[in-house]
Amino acid sequence: MGVVEGALIYSNLLALLALGLTLTYMTTAVPNFAQGSFAVFGSYIALTLLRLFGIHPYKSLPIAFVLGGLLGAGSYLLILKPLIRRGANVVTLMIATLALDLILLGFRGIYAGILGKITRQPCEMFMFSYLVKPVFGVPDILLVSSLVIVLTLLGLFFLLYKTKFGIALRASVENPMLSEIMGVDVEKTRLFSWFLSGALASMAGVLLPFKQEIVPATAELVIVSIFASSIVGGLSSIAGAILGGYIVGMSESLITYYLSVVTGNAGLLVYGKVVSLVIIVVTLLVAPRGLAGIRWRKVIRWRSGR
Amino acid sequence: MEEGDKMEIWSLITNILLWFGLYVIVSLSLNVEYGYCGIPNFGKALSVIVGAVVAGGLMTRILMVAMGVHGDIITGSSAVSGEVTTLVKSNPLYGIVLFLVYIILALIIGAVVGAVFILPSARLKEDYLAITLLAIAETFTMVCYYNPVIVGSYYGVSVPNLFAFIPASVRYQTIVGIILITAFVVYIVLERIVESPYGRLLRGVRENEDVMKAYGRNVMNIRIKTMALGSGIAAIAGVLLTFYTLRVQPDSFMNYGRTFWTFFPFLIILLGGAGNNRGVVLGSLIFATLWELVDFYKDNIVSALHLPVEAVWLEYILFGVLMLLILFYKPEGLIPEKPIVTEPIKRKKS
Repeated sequence: MGVVEGALIYSNLLALLALGLTLTYMTTAVPNFAQGSFAVFGSYIALTLLRLFGIHPYKSLPIAFVLGGLLGAGSYLLILKPLIRRGANVVTLMIATLALDLILLGFRGIYAGILGKITRQPCEMFMFSYLVKPVFGVPDILLVSSLVIVLTLLGLFFLLYKTKFGIALRASVENPMLSEIMGVDVEKTRLFSWFLSGALASMAGVLLPFKQEIVPATAELVIVSIFASSIVGGLSSIAGAILGGYIVGMSESLITYYLSVVTGNAGLLVYGKVVSLVIIVVTLLVAPRGLAGIRWRKVIRWRSGR
Repeated sequence: MEEGDKMEIWSLITNILLWFGLYVIVSLSLNVEYGYCGIPNFGKALSVIVGAVVAGGLMTRILMVAMGVHGDIITGSSAVSGEVTTLVKSNPLYGIVLFLVYIILALIIGAVVGAVFILPSARLKEDYLAITLLAIAETFTMVCYYNPVIVGSYYGVSVPNLFAFIPASVRYQTIVGIILITAFVVYIVLERIVESPYGRLLRGVRENEDVMKAYGRNVMNIRIKTMALGSGIAAIAGVLLTFYTLRVQPDSFMNYGRTFWTFFPFLIILLGGAGNNRGVVLGSLIFATLWELVDFYKDNIVSALHLPVEAVWLEYILFGVLMLLILFYKPEGLIPEKPIVTEPIKRKKS
């Protein structure tokens, strides 16, 4: 797998994850610290179907979409909704998602042990990279991950701009109270955003092992990149999250690769998350509202000296 | 009671006291940041890890230079540990002085790291603040894990036994005693700070930033100072932990760092009652006891479940659920925060 191809695959997945995080932030105003665990959930669905039934991970994408969506919706219904109803503040909600992350981490450990016992193969760490086949001269995972993101965006666009539910959803993000008065069921839009967030993260999780090894700490590490992507995008903009995913994904891979070539030190390749962190810090210092918050017209006018 | 059982009970009690002491220090420091000042420090683990790195990385290097030991940190640390152990055995005073140097250095470096740590996000809202602090802590943990220069990456480094002059049979109890004394000192100091006008200022920032700004207070400045204080104290816990394990292993930062030193301190604070140091002490005691009891009976629990399960995963689920239950049913904790009673109010009442 080439460097640019690998970077593109990673960016595709990051865009999916950041999109999910941003969706739930827009509707419920809480950054979901369990988003990384949602992804690992998908990875284990794919692993289970592959090891037990020999189903290729690409074919498990629809199943992962549904199950991941149920996980997301369940998390909202069982944890966040009751807390919001009790008037919990944003810090309480964030702590609740941290707790959810820990619970999922615990279940992951137990499940990996059980699956390992059944299949007689280690399931704590795994990769699917051996399944990658070249198609038209590029690895098929690149095509599949690109296809997933394109279909997701088309579906989301259609839903948000061509259906009545989409209008209601956008309205409830813009002004929840007013849209409730107008008869929009804000609860439904929230639940839907959590379903979609879990589903997208789970699909990204199915494809992640093609690119990098899944280890017990994967969820904790990938969350840094997800947050970086969403923050670059402004945390409340769908287009921003997608763009952020590509900016962070490409920089993580390409900057570390460039530095390792220039310095001749291949050990630098593992420090991708440092790039993410730098991106977060720079964004917060220069444009705290992310790309979506910059007034581009003003910047262009200023650049052209008028 | 059998002799063996008695030994087991004693080791259970010392284990509980060990974690109780360490968690009192870390949770009290987090309570100043979160409970009093309202900073959701989701990167609390960073300051504990900084303490461990000061002990395993920085102090080892200083001792290597002082003792003329050459080579990389992994081999150098074991050479230094050996030499310091013999030195301390010959004269206990060296051990005590070195101990104080470790603690003071951790306090200073922890404070500096804490202040720098919050700089990018000190002006931001809670959610951005939490995300950034978590991201910085996770990234630093990862760098420690991969980079062999800091604390030996995969291999880890040794930390000298500064109490080698004490017989090996009671070494463990001595460390636990030192941790408990430190925890007590931290409690007294922090109690003084939060009862002072500065403590009331912190609560003011937590309750309403804008009002504090209107009163001419620099909120960013207060946040930076608070983080410096909290991180310095938590770094002491990191050093004390390495005196107990006598090693620094970065892979344990990676696997347990965030859960042990960010999540559990939050759990303790919310269990005991945020903005209330006595509650935090009670919370630490409950948590340490629960943790050790599960650990003590883990073989029974695992065999009762008939599953190939490691106890640590069950503990994660248990404490995650406990956190949610607290948030649902007792968000103010076991001992709720009390209204502030200043000297003039006391006089008026009597």
